Amino acid sequence: MDKTISLTLKVWRQKNAEDPGKFELYPVKDISIDASFLEMLDVLNEQLVLEGQVPIAFDHDCREGICGTCGAVVNGRPHGRLSKTTLCQLHMRHYSDGDTIVIEPFRAKAFPVVKDLVVDRSSFDRIVRKGGYVSVRTGQAPDAHATAVSKPDADLSMDAAQCIGCAACVAACPNASAMLFVGAKVSQYALLPQGQVERKIRAQAMVSQMDAEGFGACSNEYECEAACPKGISVSNIARLNREFLRSSI
Amino acid sequence: MLAKFLKSSIGRKQIVAVSGLLLMLFLVFHLSVNLGIYLGPHTYNLLAHRLEQLGPVRVVAEAGLTGLFLIHIFFTFLVVKASRRARKIGYAVQSSSAQRSLSTRLMPLTGTVLLVFIISHLIDFKFIDVNNTLLAVVEEHNLGLYGIVVNSFRNPFTSTWYMIAMIAVGSHLSHAIDSVFQTFGLNDGDTHRGLHKSSVIIGTLIALLFGSIPLYVLLTHGSLLQQ
Repeated sequence: MDKTISLTLKVWRQKNAEDPGKFELYPVKDISIDASFLEMLDVLNEQLVLEGQVPIAFDHDCREGICGTCGAVVNGRPHGRLSKTTLCQLHMRHYSDGDTIVIEPFRAKAFPVVKDLVVDRSSFDRIVRKGGYVSVRTGQAPDAHATAVSKPDADLSMDAAQCIGCAACVAACPNASAMLFVGAKVSQYALLPQGQVERKIRAQAMVSQMDAEGFGACSNEYECEAACPKGISVSNIARLNREFLRSSI
Repeated sequence: MLAKFLKSSIGRKQIVAVSGLLLMLFLVFHLSVNLGIYLGPHTYNLLAHRLEQLGPVRVVAEAGLTGLFLIHIFFTFLVVKASRRARKIGYAVQSSSAQRSLSTRLMPLTGTVLLVFIISHLIDFKFIDVNNTLLAVVEEHNLGLYGIVVNSFRNPFTSTWYMIAMIAVGSHLSHAIDSVFQTFGLNDGDTHRGLHKSSVIIGTLIALLFGSIPLYVLLTHGSLLQQ
Protein backbone atom coordinates (compact mmCIF):
# COMPACT_ATOMS: atom_id res chain seq x y z
CA MET A 1 0.00 0.00 0.00
CA ASP A 2 1.31 3.42 -0.97
CA LYS A 3 2.00 5.96 1.70
CA THR A 4 -0.92 8.38 1.97
CA ILE A 5 -1.41 11.81 3.47
CA SER A 6 -4.39 13.85 4.55
CA LEU A 7 -4.62 17.55 3.84
CA THR A 8 -6.80 20.60 4.26
CA LEU A 9 -7.34 22.50 1.02
CA LYS A 10 -8.34 26.14 0.99
CA VAL A 11 -9.59 26.64 -2.55
CA TRP A 12 -10.82 29.76 -4.34
CA ARG A 13 -14.40 29.19 -5.51
CA GLN A 14 -16.02 31.57 -7.95
CA LYS A 15 -19.15 30.68 -9.95
CA ASN A 16 -18.43 33.02 -12.88
CA ALA A 17 -16.69 36.27 -13.81
CA GLU A 18 -19.33 38.37 -12.02
CA ASP A 19 -19.32 36.39 -8.77
CA PRO A 20 -17.05 38.00 -6.11
CA GLY A 21 -15.78 34.54 -5.12
CA LYS A 22 -14.50 33.23 -1.79
CA PHE A 23 -12.28 30.57 -0.26
CA GLU A 24 -13.79 27.23 0.76
CA LEU A 25 -12.16 24.67 3.04
CA TYR A 26 -12.04 21.01 1.93
CA PRO A 27 -10.49 18.18 3.93
CA VAL A 28 -9.01 15.47 1.69
CA LYS A 29 -8.02 12.09 3.10
CA ASP A 30 -5.79 9.21 2.06
CA ILE A 31 -4.10 10.90 -0.88
CA SER A 32 -1.30 8.77 -2.34
CA ILE A 33 2.02 10.60 -2.20
CA ASP A 34 2.59 9.37 -5.77
CA ALA A 35 -0.45 11.28 -6.98
CA SER A 36 0.12 14.49 -8.90
CA PHE A 37 -1.40 17.72 -7.64
CA LEU A 38 -4.10 17.56 -10.32
CA GLU A 39 -4.87 13.91 -9.47
CA MET A 40 -5.31 15.01 -5.87
CA LEU A 41 -7.84 17.61 -7.11
CA ASP A 42 -9.52 14.85 -9.18
CA VAL A 43 -9.97 12.82 -5.98
CA LEU A 44 -11.51 15.83 -4.25
CA ASN A 45 -13.78 16.49 -7.24
CA GLU A 46 -15.04 12.88 -7.25
CA GLN A 47 -15.82 13.29 -3.57
CA LEU A 48 -17.65 16.59 -4.26
CA VAL A 49 -19.71 15.04 -7.08
CA LEU A 50 -20.74 12.14 -4.83
CA GLU A 51 -21.82 14.67 -2.21
CA GLY A 52 -23.91 16.50 -4.82
CA GLN A 53 -21.64 19.55 -4.84
CA VAL A 54 -20.19 21.39 -7.84
CA PRO A 55 -16.65 20.14 -8.57
CA ILE A 56 -13.73 22.60 -8.65
CA ALA A 57 -13.01 23.90 -12.16
CA PHE A 58 -9.34 23.88 -13.10
CA ASP A 59 -7.50 23.95 -16.43
CA HIS A 60 -5.55 20.90 -17.57
CA ASP A 61 -4.72 19.07 -20.76
CA CYS A 62 -1.60 16.99 -21.39
CA ARG A 63 -0.67 16.41 -17.74
CA GLU A 64 2.89 15.88 -18.96
CA GLY A 65 4.24 19.37 -18.28
CA ILE A 66 4.46 20.36 -21.93
CA CYS A 67 1.19 22.02 -22.93
CA GLY A 68 1.02 24.98 -20.54
CA THR A 69 -2.68 24.57 -19.85
CA CYS A 70 -2.63 23.84 -16.13
CA GLY A 71 -1.66 26.31 -13.48
CA ALA A 72 -2.80 27.75 -10.19
CA VAL A 73 -1.11 29.60 -7.38
CA VAL A 74 -0.29 27.13 -4.61
CA ASN A 75 0.68 28.63 -1.25
CA GLY A 76 1.59 31.90 -2.99
CA ARG A 77 3.67 30.36 -5.81
CA PRO A 78 2.46 29.70 -9.36
CA HIS A 79 2.67 25.93 -10.07
CA GLY A 80 3.76 25.44 -6.43
CA ARG A 81 7.17 25.92 -4.88
CA LEU A 82 9.18 23.42 -6.97
CA SER A 83 11.36 25.05 -9.59
CA LYS A 84 10.88 24.34 -13.31
CA THR A 85 7.76 22.28 -12.64
CA THR A 86 4.21 22.67 -13.94
CA LEU A 87 1.33 22.04 -11.56
CA CYS A 88 0.56 18.68 -13.21
CA GLN A 89 4.14 17.53 -12.56
CA LEU A 90 4.06 18.54 -8.90
CA HIS A 91 3.60 15.44 -6.80
CA MET A 92 2.07 15.05 -3.38
CA ARG A 93 5.29 13.57 -1.92
CA HIS A 94 6.43 17.19 -1.57
CA TYR A 95 3.73 17.73 1.07
CA SER A 96 3.37 16.38 4.58
CA ASP A 97 0.44 14.83 6.37
CA GLY A 98 -1.74 17.53 7.95
CA ASP A 99 -0.60 20.37 5.64
CA THR A 100 -2.98 23.14 4.68
CA ILE A 101 -2.64 24.13 1.02
CA VAL A 102 -4.06 27.40 -0.30
CA ILE A 103 -4.99 27.25 -4.01
CA GLU A 104 -5.79 30.45 -5.90
CA PRO A 105 -6.23 31.32 -9.56
CA PHE A 106 -3.55 33.32 -11.44
CA ARG A 107 -4.32 36.94 -10.58
CA ALA A 108 -4.10 39.62 -13.24
CA LYS A 109 -6.49 42.13 -14.74
CA ALA A 110 -5.60 40.68 -18.15
CA PHE A 111 -6.61 37.17 -16.96
CA PRO A 112 -10.22 37.43 -15.76
CA VAL A 113 -11.44 34.46 -13.74
CA VAL A 114 -13.84 32.29 -15.76
CA LYS A 115 -14.67 29.90 -12.93
CA ASP A 116 -12.88 28.82 -9.73
CA LEU A 117 -9.22 28.30 -10.78
CA VAL A 118 -9.81 28.76 -14.52
CA VAL A 119 -8.69 32.09 -15.95
CA ASP A 120 -9.08 33.46 -19.46
CA ARG A 121 -5.57 33.74 -20.94
CA SER A 122 -6.71 34.76 -24.43
CA SER A 123 -4.82 38.06 -23.93
CA PHE A 124 -1.67 35.98 -24.61
CA ASP A 125 -3.20 34.74 -27.89
CA ARG A 126 -3.95 38.32 -28.95
CA ILE A 127 -0.33 39.31 -28.26
CA VAL A 128 0.98 36.35 -30.29
CA ARG A 129 -1.39 37.22 -33.13
CA LYS A 130 0.32 40.62 -33.39
CA GLY A 131 3.76 39.26 -34.19
CA GLY A 132 4.20 35.56 -33.50
CA TYR A 133 4.68 34.67 -37.17
CA VAL A 134 7.25 34.90 -39.96
CA SER A 135 6.89 35.64 -43.68
CA VAL A 136 7.92 32.85 -46.02
CA ARG A 137 8.23 32.62 -49.77
CA THR A 138 5.55 30.73 -51.63
CA GLY A 139 6.44 27.93 -54.01
CA GLN A 140 8.50 24.89 -53.26
CA ALA A 141 9.83 24.38 -49.78
CA PRO A 142 13.49 25.44 -49.59
CA ASP A 143 16.18 22.96 -48.60
CA ALA A 144 16.39 22.64 -44.86
CA HIS A 145 20.02 23.75 -44.87
CA ALA A 146 19.50 26.69 -47.27
CA THR A 147 19.65 29.27 -44.48
CA ALA A 148 22.59 29.07 -42.13
CA VAL A 149 21.93 29.74 -38.43
CA SER A 150 24.80 30.00 -35.95
CA LYS A 151 24.76 27.49 -33.12
CA PRO A 152 24.65 30.08 -30.28
CA ASP A 153 21.73 31.91 -31.93
CA ALA A 154 19.90 28.67 -32.61
CA ASP A 155 20.36 27.63 -28.96
CA LEU A 156 19.14 30.96 -27.59
CA SER A 157 16.19 30.96 -29.95
CA MET A 158 15.20 27.41 -29.01
CA ASP A 159 15.59 28.28 -25.31
CA ALA A 160 13.11 31.13 -25.82
CA ALA A 161 10.83 28.89 -27.88
CA GLN A 162 10.49 26.56 -24.89
CA CYS A 163 7.89 28.95 -23.47
CA ILE A 164 4.60 27.06 -23.19
CA GLY A 165 2.57 30.21 -22.50
CA CYS A 166 1.28 28.94 -19.17
CA ALA A 167 1.28 32.50 -17.73
CA ALA A 168 3.04 31.61 -14.46
CA CYS A 169 5.39 34.55 -15.16
CA VAL A 170 2.47 36.99 -15.03
CA ALA A 171 1.04 35.29 -11.94
CA ALA A 172 4.39 35.50 -10.12
CA CYS A 173 5.22 39.08 -11.10
CA PRO A 174 4.37 41.63 -8.39
CA ASN A 175 3.22 43.90 -11.25
CA ALA A 176 1.40 41.19 -13.25
CA SER A 177 3.75 41.96 -16.11
CA ALA A 178 3.89 39.79 -19.23
CA MET A 179 7.44 40.80 -20.16
CA LEU A 180 8.94 37.31 -19.84
CA PHE A 181 6.29 35.81 -22.12
CA VAL A 182 6.55 38.61 -24.70
CA GLY A 183 10.35 38.63 -24.33
CA ALA A 184 10.47 34.91 -25.13
CA LYS A 185 8.15 35.26 -28.13
CA VAL A 186 10.02 38.25 -29.58
CA SER A 187 13.45 36.66 -28.91
CA GLN A 188 12.61 33.37 -30.55
CA TYR A 189 12.12 35.15 -33.92
CA ALA A 190 14.55 38.06 -33.53
CA LEU A 191 17.45 35.62 -33.16
CA LEU A 192 16.75 33.75 -36.38
CA PRO A 193 17.22 34.89 -40.01
CA GLN A 194 13.64 33.84 -40.74
CA GLY A 195 12.34 36.35 -38.21
CA GLN A 196 14.06 39.42 -39.68
CA VAL A 197 11.26 40.50 -42.03
CA GLU A 198 8.90 41.52 -39.23
CA ARG A 199 11.61 42.20 -36.66
CA LYS A 200 10.81 45.90 -36.18
CA ILE A 201 7.05 45.78 -36.37
CA ARG A 202 6.94 42.65 -34.21
CA ALA A 203 8.51 44.29 -31.15
CA GLN A 204 6.30 47.37 -31.52
CA ALA A 205 3.06 45.49 -32.17
CA MET A 206 3.49 42.88 -29.43
CA VAL A 207 4.48 45.46 -26.79
CA SER A 208 1.62 47.70 -27.83
CA GLN A 209 -0.87 44.80 -27.48
CA MET A 210 0.72 43.79 -24.14
CA ASP A 211 0.12 47.30 -22.78
CA ALA A 212 -3.41 47.43 -24.23
CA GLU A 213 -4.30 44.16 -22.45
CA GLY A 214 -3.53 45.81 -19.11
CA PHE A 215 -0.40 43.94 -18.02
CA GLY A 216 1.90 45.82 -15.64
CA ALA A 217 5.46 46.99 -16.25
CA CYS A 218 8.57 44.97 -15.47
CA SER A 219 10.42 46.23 -12.40
CA ASN A 220 13.26 43.71 -12.70
CA GLU A 221 12.19 41.60 -9.73
CA TYR A 222 12.86 38.37 -11.69
CA GLU A 223 10.06 36.46 -9.95
CA CYS A 224 8.95 35.40 -13.43
CA GLU A 225 12.15 33.47 -14.12
CA ALA A 226 11.88 31.71 -10.75
CA ALA A 227 8.28 30.67 -11.46
CA CYS A 228 8.76 29.64 -15.10
CA PRO A 229 8.34 25.87 -15.48
CA LYS A 230 10.61 26.01 -18.54
CA GLY A 231 13.31 28.17 -16.93
CA ILE A 232 13.01 30.97 -19.51
CA SER A 233 15.78 33.45 -18.71
CA VAL A 234 15.16 37.13 -17.94
CA SER A 235 17.82 37.87 -20.55
CA ASN A 236 14.88 37.50 -22.97
CA ILE A 237 13.31 40.54 -21.27
CA ALA A 238 16.58 42.40 -21.82
CA ARG A 239 16.45 41.38 -25.49
CA LEU A 240 12.84 42.60 -25.73
CA ASN A 241 13.88 45.95 -24.23
CA ARG A 242 16.68 46.16 -26.78
CA GLU A 243 14.43 45.16 -29.69
CA PHE A 244 11.84 47.71 -28.63
CA LEU A 245 14.38 50.53 -28.36
CA ARG A 246 15.91 49.54 -31.72
CA SER A 247 12.52 49.57 -33.41
CA SER A 248 11.63 52.94 -31.83
CA ILE A 249 14.67 54.75 -33.23
CA MET B 1 7.02 57.57 -32.95
CA LEU B 2 8.15 59.50 -29.87
CA ALA B 3 4.58 59.73 -28.59
CA LYS B 4 4.20 55.95 -28.99
CA PHE B 5 7.52 55.40 -27.22
CA LEU B 6 6.49 57.64 -24.31
CA LYS B 7 3.13 55.88 -24.00
CA SER B 8 4.60 52.35 -23.94
CA SER B 9 5.51 50.62 -20.68
CA ILE B 10 9.04 49.85 -21.96
CA GLY B 11 9.61 53.40 -23.25
CA ARG B 12 8.56 54.85 -19.91
CA LYS B 13 10.87 52.49 -18.06
CA GLN B 14 13.75 53.46 -20.32
CA ILE B 15 13.07 57.13 -19.53
CA VAL B 16 13.15 56.28 -15.80
CA ALA B 17 16.39 54.35 -16.34
CA VAL B 18 18.22 57.03 -18.31
CA SER B 19 17.12 59.85 -15.97
CA GLY B 20 18.16 57.71 -13.00
CA LEU B 21 21.54 57.02 -14.59
CA LEU B 22 22.17 60.74 -15.14
CA LEU B 23 21.10 61.47 -11.56
CA MET B 24 23.56 58.84 -10.38
CA LEU B 25 26.36 60.49 -12.35
CA PHE B 26 25.49 63.76 -10.63
CA LEU B 27 25.58 61.92 -7.30
CA VAL B 28 29.12 60.70 -8.01
CA PHE B 29 30.15 64.28 -8.83
CA HIS B 30 28.42 65.51 -5.65
CA LEU B 31 30.27 62.85 -3.65
CA SER B 32 33.65 63.82 -5.08
CA VAL B 33 33.04 67.43 -3.97
CA ASN B 34 31.75 66.34 -0.54
CA LEU B 35 34.83 64.25 0.08
CA GLY B 36 36.75 67.55 -0.07
CA ILE B 37 35.73 67.90 3.58
CA TYR B 38 38.64 65.58 4.43
CA LEU B 39 41.02 68.16 2.90
CA GLY B 40 40.09 70.77 5.51
CA PRO B 41 38.04 73.99 5.62
CA HIS B 42 40.16 75.97 3.19
CA THR B 43 40.02 73.48 0.30
CA TYR B 44 36.37 72.61 0.96
CA ASN B 45 35.26 76.24 0.92
CA LEU B 46 37.38 76.89 -2.16
CA LEU B 47 35.68 73.99 -3.98
CA ALA B 48 32.25 75.37 -3.01
CA HIS B 49 33.29 78.83 -4.10
CA ARG B 50 34.46 77.56 -7.49
CA LEU B 51 31.07 75.92 -8.00
CA GLU B 52 29.34 79.19 -7.08
CA GLN B 53 31.51 81.00 -9.62
CA LEU B 54 30.32 78.79 -12.48
CA GLY B 55 27.41 81.23 -12.87
CA PRO B 56 25.18 80.46 -15.88
CA VAL B 57 26.63 76.93 -16.22
CA ARG B 58 25.54 76.23 -12.67
CA VAL B 59 22.05 77.64 -13.30
CA VAL B 60 21.62 75.44 -16.39
CA ALA B 61 22.97 72.39 -14.52
CA GLU B 62 20.59 73.01 -11.60
CA ALA B 63 17.63 73.45 -13.93
CA GLY B 64 18.66 70.24 -15.74
CA LEU B 65 18.93 68.36 -12.46
CA THR B 66 15.51 69.56 -11.33
CA GLY B 67 14.12 68.47 -14.69
CA LEU B 68 15.74 65.05 -14.36
CA PHE B 69 14.29 64.57 -10.89
CA LEU B 70 10.81 65.53 -12.04
CA ILE B 71 11.05 63.27 -15.13
CA HIS B 72 12.35 60.37 -13.00
CA ILE B 73 9.53 60.75 -10.48
CA PHE B 74 6.78 61.43 -13.02
CA PHE B 75 7.55 58.44 -15.24
CA THR B 76 8.04 56.18 -12.20
CA PHE B 77 4.59 57.29 -11.06
CA LEU B 78 3.08 56.39 -14.47
CA VAL B 79 4.76 52.96 -14.52
CA VAL B 80 3.75 52.16 -10.93
CA LYS B 81 0.17 53.31 -11.55
CA ALA B 82 -0.16 50.95 -14.54
CA SER B 83 1.35 48.09 -12.55
CA ARG B 84 -0.99 48.62 -9.60
CA ARG B 85 -3.93 48.53 -11.99
CA ALA B 86 -2.67 45.27 -13.52
CA ARG B 87 -3.59 43.24 -10.42
CA LYS B 88 -6.70 44.44 -8.68
CA ILE B 89 -7.18 41.36 -6.51
CA GLY B 90 -4.04 40.24 -4.70
CA TYR B 91 -3.08 36.81 -3.42
CA ALA B 92 -4.20 35.49 -0.02
CA VAL B 93 -0.74 33.95 0.45
CA GLN B 94 2.24 36.16 -0.39
CA SER B 95 5.41 34.29 -1.18
CA SER B 96 8.51 35.49 -3.01
CA SER B 97 11.35 33.48 -4.45
CA ALA B 98 14.98 34.14 -3.58
CA GLN B 99 15.27 35.96 -6.94
CA ARG B 100 13.67 39.09 -5.49
CA SER B 101 16.38 40.96 -3.62
CA LEU B 102 15.75 43.11 -0.57
CA SER B 103 16.81 46.28 -2.39
CA THR B 104 14.24 45.50 -5.11
CA ARG B 105 11.47 45.03 -2.59
CA LEU B 106 12.42 48.25 -0.84
CA MET B 107 12.45 50.45 -3.98
CA PRO B 108 9.13 52.24 -3.18
CA LEU B 109 10.30 52.89 0.40
CA THR B 110 13.84 53.99 -0.47
CA GLY B 111 12.53 56.18 -3.30
CA THR B 112 10.12 57.94 -0.94
CA VAL B 113 12.81 58.38 1.76
CA LEU B 114 15.10 59.92 -0.88
CA LEU B 115 12.42 62.33 -2.09
CA VAL B 116 11.79 63.57 1.46
CA PHE B 117 15.54 63.68 2.13
CA ILE B 118 16.33 65.69 -1.01
CA ILE B 119 13.76 68.32 -0.05
CA SER B 120 15.11 68.56 3.53
CA HIS B 121 18.70 68.48 2.23
CA LEU B 122 18.05 71.43 -0.10
CA ILE B 123 16.49 73.38 2.78
CA ASP B 124 19.48 72.53 5.03
CA PHE B 125 22.36 73.28 2.65
CA LYS B 126 21.20 74.86 -0.59
CA PHE B 127 18.82 77.56 0.56
CA ILE B 128 20.88 78.58 3.55
CA ASP B 129 22.54 81.94 4.15
CA VAL B 130 26.21 81.02 3.76
CA ASN B 131 27.20 84.40 5.18
CA ASN B 132 25.33 83.81 8.43
CA THR B 133 28.33 83.67 10.75
CA LEU B 134 26.25 82.27 13.61
CA LEU B 135 25.88 78.98 11.70
CA ALA B 136 29.47 78.89 10.45
CA VAL B 137 31.38 79.39 13.67
CA VAL B 138 33.14 76.28 14.96
CA GLU B 139 35.19 76.65 18.14
CA GLU B 140 35.21 80.46 17.73
CA HIS B 141 36.44 80.30 14.10
CA ASN B 142 34.26 81.34 11.20
CA LEU B 143 34.74 78.40 8.83
CA GLY B 144 32.16 79.40 6.20
CA LEU B 145 30.31 76.57 4.44
CA TYR B 146 32.64 74.01 6.06
CA GLY B 147 31.52 75.34 9.45
CA ILE B 148 27.85 75.12 8.47
CA VAL B 149 28.33 71.47 7.43
CA VAL B 150 30.21 70.65 10.65
CA ASN B 151 27.62 72.35 12.85
CA SER B 152 24.78 70.56 11.05
CA PHE B 153 26.32 67.14 11.47
CA ARG B 154 27.20 67.79 15.12
CA ASN B 155 23.46 67.58 15.65
CA PRO B 156 23.01 63.79 16.07
CA PHE B 157 19.45 63.94 14.71
CA THR B 158 20.66 65.52 11.46
CA SER B 159 23.52 63.00 11.21
CA THR B 160 21.25 60.04 11.89
CA TRP B 161 18.67 61.21 9.34
CA TYR B 162 21.49 61.76 6.83
CA MET B 163 22.89 58.27 7.40
CA ILE B 164 19.42 56.69 7.09
CA ALA B 165 19.03 58.52 3.78
CA MET B 166 22.44 57.26 2.65
CA ILE B 167 21.39 53.68 3.43
CA ALA B 168 18.36 54.39 1.24
CA VAL B 169 20.68 55.72 -1.51
CA GLY B 170 22.83 52.59 -1.30
CA SER B 171 19.83 50.28 -1.45
CA HIS B 172 18.16 52.27 -4.26
CA LEU B 173 21.34 52.19 -6.35
CA SER B 174 21.95 48.48 -5.65
CA HIS B 175 18.78 47.73 -7.59
CA ALA B 176 19.01 50.66 -9.99
CA ILE B 177 22.43 50.17 -11.61
CA ASP B 178 21.66 46.53 -12.37
CA SER B 179 18.22 47.56 -13.68
CA VAL B 180 19.60 50.15 -16.10
CA PHE B 181 21.53 47.39 -17.89
CA GLN B 182 18.47 45.13 -17.97
CA THR B 183 16.12 47.89 -19.14
CA PHE B 184 18.41 48.85 -22.00
CA GLY B 185 18.88 45.22 -22.94
CA LEU B 186 22.56 44.99 -22.06
CA ASN B 187 22.11 41.91 -19.88
CA ASP B 188 22.83 38.84 -22.00
CA GLY B 189 22.23 36.28 -19.26
CA ASP B 190 25.86 35.41 -18.54
CA THR B 191 26.53 38.92 -17.23
CA HIS B 192 23.45 38.94 -14.99
CA ARG B 193 25.07 37.75 -11.75
CA GLY B 194 28.16 39.92 -12.25
CA LEU B 195 26.01 42.96 -12.95
CA HIS B 196 23.97 42.47 -9.81
CA LYS B 197 27.09 42.09 -7.66
CA SER B 198 28.73 45.17 -9.19
CA SER B 199 25.51 47.08 -8.65
CA VAL B 200 25.44 46.18 -4.95
CA ILE B 201 29.15 47.01 -4.54
CA ILE B 202 28.87 50.44 -6.23
CA GLY B 203 25.67 51.29 -4.29
CA THR B 204 27.23 50.29 -0.98
CA LEU B 205 30.46 52.17 -1.73
CA ILE B 206 28.62 55.41 -2.59
CA ALA B 207 26.49 55.08 0.58
CA LEU B 208 29.56 54.39 2.78
CA LEU B 209 31.53 57.33 1.39
CA PHE B 210 28.62 59.77 1.84
CA GLY B 211 27.80 58.32 5.27
CA SER B 212 31.41 58.62 6.42
CA ILE B 213 31.16 62.42 6.43
CA PRO B 214 28.72 62.87 9.36
CA LEU B 215 30.61 60.13 11.24
CA TYR B 216 33.89 61.96 10.65
CA VAL B 217 32.36 65.23 11.91
CA LEU B 218 30.93 63.57 15.03
CA LEU B 219 34.23 61.84 15.78
CA THR B 220 36.42 64.89 15.23
CA HIS B 221 34.19 67.68 16.56
CA GLY B 222 31.88 65.81 18.94
CA SER B 223 28.11 65.88 19.21
CA LEU B 224 26.24 69.06 20.15
CA LEU B 225 24.44 67.02 22.82
CA GLN B 226 27.71 66.50 24.67
CA GLN B 227 28.13 70.25 25.26
